[in-house]
Amino acid sequence: MTDHSSLERRYRRWLALYPKSFRAEREEEMVAVLMQGADPDQTRPRAGEAADLVTHGLRQRAGLPLPPGRRPLDWERAHAKFMLPFRLLIALFLFIMSVIIVAAHNGQLWGGELWLLLTVPGMLVHLWIAYRIRPSTTHR
Amino acid sequence: MHEASFLILTALAGESQHGYGIITDVAQISGGRVQLKAGTLYTALDRLVADGLIELDREEIVDNRLRRYYRITREGAQRLAEEADRLRSNAHAALTRLQPGVAIS
Repeated sequence: MTDHSSLERRYRRWLALYPKSFRAEREEEMVAVLMQGADPDQTRPRAGEAADLVTHGLRQRAGLPLPPGRRPLDWERAHAKFMLPFRLLIALFLFIMSVIIVAAHNGQLWGGELWLLLTVPGMLVHLWIAYRIRPSTTHR
Repeated sequence: MHEASFLILTALAGESQHGYGIITDVAQISGGRVQLKAGTLYTALDRLVADGLIELDREEIVDNRLRRYYRITREGAQRLAEEADRLRSNAHAALTRLQPGVAIS
């Protein structure tokens, strides 16, 4: 008898990527489907399954509107508006730094990888934040 | 309409089914080509429920696990019929144009 409870726990860990409201509605149902599709001797999620849960969990999160009744306050709006150019500038700065790092290594992408590991995700995060809370975002 | 949605509606057109039932049925309908994963399935189901094309039929507890059965709505059946018509006429057009020069066995 294999330990199915550990497989279930691992599935639930991936499902934690979904927003809370979605999980309250769907988690038990999805665990049932995942467990039913598992091989008898399977102890961990297959790579494809985990990737699928990550993709769809994050997509659910990204598409989630603010809780109903929650409207952005005036200062939040003002802050988002004020910060937008700074976020874009920081992203631009990090982009330029990345280019310089690559150029400094004679066009070889790898060599300055440690710095690129910092600048590229940093750039993406800033662009993402700028996009998510851009001033014109209509909150439902 | 997404192929996944089309196949899910097709699976539910016959009878109401629960999540895992839909996965195996869709695999069978598509000749094993489409193997829905749980995340994909529930994103699609969510969408279809929100669009009013399917709805919750009933809930059961089997082996301590929750099973929700879904059924197709009247609107869902209508949309599926329209989509099937569209696909058939496209397929027909393709086959007709292929016919003169190409031998189809």
